[in-house]
Amino acid sequence: MDLLIQVLINGVLLGGFYAIMALGLALVWGVLNIVNLAHGAFIMLGAYLSWYLYEYGGIDPFIGLPLNAVIMFAVGYAMQRGLLNLIVRAPMFNTLLITFGIEVVLTYLAQLVFSADFRTINPPYAGNNTTLGSVVIPDVRLFAFGAAIVLTLGMWVFLLRTKLGRAIRATAQNLVAARLYGVEPRHLYAMTFGIGIGLAGAAGALYGVTSQINPYIGASLTAKSFAISIIGGLENPLGVIVGGLALGIIESLALLYVGATFGDVATFGVLVLVLIVRPTGLLGRTA
Amino acid sequence: MKKLLPAILLALGVVILAAVPWIASDVVVQFGINSLLLAVLAQGWNIIGGYCGYPSFGNSTFFGLGCYGVAIALVQWELPFAVGLAFGVALAAAFAVLLGIPVLRLKGHYFAIATLALALAMSAIVSNVEIAGRNIGLVLPPLNNDPLFYELSLALLIAATLTVFWLTRSRFGFGLIAIRENEEGAAVMGVNTTLFKILAFTLSGVFSALAGGIYAYWITFIDPVSAFDIGLNVKMIIMAVFGGPGTILGPVLGAFLLTAVSEVLASEVTTLAGLFFGLVVVAAVVLMPRGLTDVFHQFHKAGWRYFLNNIRAHRL
Amino acid sequence: MSAKAAFLSSLLLGAAAIAPAPAHAADILLGASVQLTGPVANTGRYYKDAYEFAVDKINEKGGVKVGNEHRKLALRIYDNQSDVSLSVRQYTQLVTQDKVNLLLGPFASNFVLADSAISEKYKIPMVQGGGASDQIFSRGFKYIFGTLPAASDYFGSTIKMLSALKPKPENVALLYADDSFDVSVAKGTRPLLKEAGLKLALDERYTTNATNFNSLLSQIRNAHIDAVLVAGHETEILNFIRQAKSLSVSPKMYSFTVGVPSADFRAALGKDAEFAFGMTAWLPSASLKDEWFGNAEEFAKAYKAKFGYDPDYHAASGVADVEAIVKAIESAGTIEPQKVRDALAKVNFQSLYGTIAFGKNGQITLPQTVIQIQDGNVVAVYGQEGFIKQPKYPMPAWNSR
Repeated sequence: MDLLIQVLINGVLLGGFYAIMALGLALVWGVLNIVNLAHGAFIMLGAYLSWYLYEYGGIDPFIGLPLNAVIMFAVGYAMQRGLLNLIVRAPMFNTLLITFGIEVVLTYLAQLVFSADFRTINPPYAGNNTTLGSVVIPDVRLFAFGAAIVLTLGMWVFLLRTKLGRAIRATAQNLVAARLYGVEPRHLYAMTFGIGIGLAGAAGALYGVTSQINPYIGASLTAKSFAISIIGGLENPLGVIVGGLALGIIESLALLYVGATFGDVATFGVLVLVLIVRPTGLLGRTA
Repeated sequence: MKKLLPAILLALGVVILAAVPWIASDVVVQFGINSLLLAVLAQGWNIIGGYCGYPSFGNSTFFGLGCYGVAIALVQWELPFAVGLAFGVALAAAFAVLLGIPVLRLKGHYFAIATLALALAMSAIVSNVEIAGRNIGLVLPPLNNDPLFYELSLALLIAATLTVFWLTRSRFGFGLIAIRENEEGAAVMGVNTTLFKILAFTLSGVFSALAGGIYAYWITFIDPVSAFDIGLNVKMIIMAVFGGPGTILGPVLGAFLLTAVSEVLASEVTTLAGLFFGLVVVAAVVLMPRGLTDVFHQFHKAGWRYFLNNIRAHRL
Repeated sequence: MSAKAAFLSSLLLGAAAIAPAPAHAADILLGASVQLTGPVANTGRYYKDAYEFAVDKINEKGGVKVGNEHRKLALRIYDNQSDVSLSVRQYTQLVTQDKVNLLLGPFASNFVLADSAISEKYKIPMVQGGGASDQIFSRGFKYIFGTLPAASDYFGSTIKMLSALKPKPENVALLYADDSFDVSVAKGTRPLLKEAGLKLALDERYTTNATNFNSLLSQIRNAHIDAVLVAGHETEILNFIRQAKSLSVSPKMYSFTVGVPSADFRAALGKDAEFAFGMTAWLPSASLKDEWFGNAEEFAKAYKAKFGYDPDYHAASGVADVEAIVKAIESAGTIEPQKVRDALAKVNFQSLYGTIAFGKNGQITLPQTVIQIQDGNVVAVYGQEGFIKQPKYPMPAWNSR
C-alpha cells in the first residue's frame, strides 16, 4: 500500500512538471494554430541557458527562472517575427514541416556549441526532499508542481480576462476583423509565440535540475508534450494540468504494475485512444 | 511526336536507372537502393497526402510493419522472402483498415497528429513483443546481392508511380481529389468518402510495407527504432512536398534530389550535414511550398519573383 | 518539365558512378565510421580521438614493418550521426570506394552488429573496441574481432566481491536497459548471482533512454534492497542516481556497467557520484607495458595533455584495436586482408590495454576490475586476487553525507 501511495505521489508530481512542459506548446497550438515540432528543442535550449547561467554566472536556476524566461521570450519573439510569420497563412501542414527543420537546426547547433557531453544543473538543494510518514516528496518536483498550477491559472486568466489575451485570441480567430480594429497581428503572434517559448525555457530549467541535458533530448520531450496537450484538450488553457496529471499518473502506474518497458506504450496508447474517442481532449467540448 | 517526348525520356530514364548496378560502383548502388526506397515511401504518401489531402504522419508504421513482416517470417518461421513480403503487406493492410476507420474521421492537423501518435505507439508496442525480438530487434540471414535489391526497389517504384498515374485517370483518383478539395461536396455528389479514404490509406500503406520488407532484408538488421523511425515520416513528406505533392513524378524527383544532397553532405561535410539538411528544409518550406514541379512550371513566367510571391502569399 | 527532370536525375546517378576513385597511396589505410554527432556521440568521439592518437604515435615511431619496408598508417573516419543504416553505407563506401586496407569499428553493440555484416561480406577484418554483446560473436563470423570483454561477464568480479563483503547483501536488484548489450549482461549475471547464493529480489528490464526511474526506485526502497546492479547507458544512470537522491533511496551499494570510469559523468554528478561502484577492463597502471606508449600511465598522461580529458577504457580499447592490426600485419608480413585476418586470430602481445589475444569467436577475454568512486577519484577495489583496497561499504544515507 505504501508503495502504491508513493508511486501515485510520484505520478502527481511528475504530472505537474509535464504540465509546465506542455503549456508553451498548448498555448501556441491552441491559440495560433501553429504546431511546434521544435518545442522540445526549445526546452533543451532553455535547459542549456540555465546551465550556462549557473556554471558561468553563478545564478541559481530558480532565481534565474525569470531571466531565463525573458531571454527565451526574446528568442521566440524573434523566431516568430522573423521566420514563422512568413508561413502563417500557408496550409497548416507547412508549420509542421518548418518546425521540424528548425528542430534539426537547433539540435545540431546545440551539438556544435555545447558538444555532446552531458550537463546537469546541480545546485546543492537539487536532491532535497520532504518526508511525510512513509512517503518521500522531492522538493524540486513539489516546486514544479506549484509553479505548474500558478502558471496555468495565470495563463487562463491572461487569455480569458486581460485585454492583451483577448486581443491575441481575437486575432487568431479572425485576422481581418482584428486588423480592422487596429490590432497589429504580426506583433501579437510574435508575442504569443514568445510567451510559449519563454514557458519552454522555464520547463528546461526545471528539467536540467532533475535530469540531465544533452542536445538530443528535444524529440522525446516534444512527443510527450503533444500527448499531454491533446489528452488535456487544446481549447481550454487548464487542459495541460489535466493532461499532465493524467499522463504522469498513468505512466507511473504502468511502470509499476505492467512493467518498466511499458511507459511509452501507456503514454502513446492513451493518446491514440483519446484521439479516436474524444479528439478534443478531456476538457474539450465534444465535437 | 512532341506528345510522346516525355514518355520517351521517362522510358530512357528507367532504362538507365535499371542499368546502374552494372555501370556504377557499389556505393552508388547502395545509395540508389536507399533513394529508391525513400522515393517509394514518398510516392506512397502522395496517394493519401498529396491526392487525398489527408497528410499522414504515420506511414512509418506501415514501413515498420513491412520490415517486421519479412524479419519474423525469415528469422522465426524460416519462410521465404516473398511470403515475408506478403505477411508484411497483410499486417499493413489490416492495420490501415482497422485503425484507418476511426482515424480518418479526423480532420486536418488532428489526422496528422493521430497518425503520428499511432507511429509512436507502434514503436513502443513492438519493443515489447517477444517474437519481434523486443527492443533488440532481429538479425536477418544475410543475402549478399545488392543488384537484386536495387532492381526490386526500382520495380516497386515503377509500380507505385504507375499506380499514381492510373489514379490520375480513374474515378477513384478523381474521387480522392474531390475529397481533398471539398469533402462535404464530394459526399453530397455521391462519392463514398469513407471507402475511398480507407482505400487510399491502405494503398499507401501497402507500398510503404513493401519498401520496408525490401529494406529489412537488405540491411539485415532491424530494431523498433530503425524500423519505426519517426524521422522517416517527415523525410518522405518533405520529399513529396519538395518535389510536388499531387503530381505523378514530383515525389520521385524530390526523393532523388534530397537524398543526393543528404548523402553528399554526409560524406563531404560530415558533422554539418544534419545542420544543412535542416536549413534546406526550412528554406524550401518558406520559398517553395508547392514543390519543385511548381517551380518548374512557374519560373519562366515569374522568374526570381516566384519565391517572393510565395512569401507574400503566405505571410502574416 | 517533370519527365525531363526525372531523366536528368537518372543521368546524375549515372555520372556519379563514373567519378574516379581516389589514387591508392603507399600508406596503409584504416577506415572507420564513428558516432561523432547524434545521441551517442558523447562516447563515440572517444574512439576517433583514440584511433588518431594511436596512428600518430605509431607513425612517429617508424610506422609498420611490412616485410622489409616500413609503411605509415593513414586514417579515414566518417561521422555516422549515430544512425545505424548510415554507418552500414559508410563502411561499404570505405571498402568499395575509399579502398581502405583494414577496418576499425564504431561504438555500441547494435552498430557493430550491423556493420560487421559488411566486413564479413567483403572479407576485410574489422577490429572494434565498442561492442561487447554476445550476439556479435555468436554468428560464426570470421572477420570481426573485439577488444571489449564479454557482456555476460561484466558483473562477474562485482558479484565475487559482494560475496566477500561484510555484511553480505541479503538481496539484489538487477535493472537493465532493453538493448542488445545490457540484455546480454543481465542474462550472464543471473546464473552468477545464483551460484554466489545471492537472492535476486527484483529483476526488471526498462526502456532504453528512460528518464523516469521513480517507480523502480520506489520499489527498491519498499523492498529494502541491499545491492542494486544496473546495466544501462550513461544518460539513464545519471537520471537514476539523481532521482535516487531526490527520493532518498540509498541501498547498501549500487554498481553500474557504464559511467563510473568516465570523467564527464563524474563531473556531471559532482559529489553525488560518491560511493558508486562500476567496473573497468582497464586502469592506467604503470604495470601495463606498451611498445609505443611506454606504459598505460604514461599513455593516460599524454592523452590528457593532448585532448584535455582523462581517457577511460573506451579510449584504451580503441588504441588496442590499432595496435592489434599493426601487430597482425607485422606478423603476417603483408597487408592482404585474408592473411591479416589469420594473423589477428593468433596475436598475443602485451599492450597498454593488457594482454591482447582473441578467442575462437573473435572476442578478447579480460577480467573486469571493480572500481569505486572515493573522494572524487576512481579507485580499484577488487580484482582477480581479491580486495585491492577497502571499498566504502555500506553506502551512507543521502542526508548523512
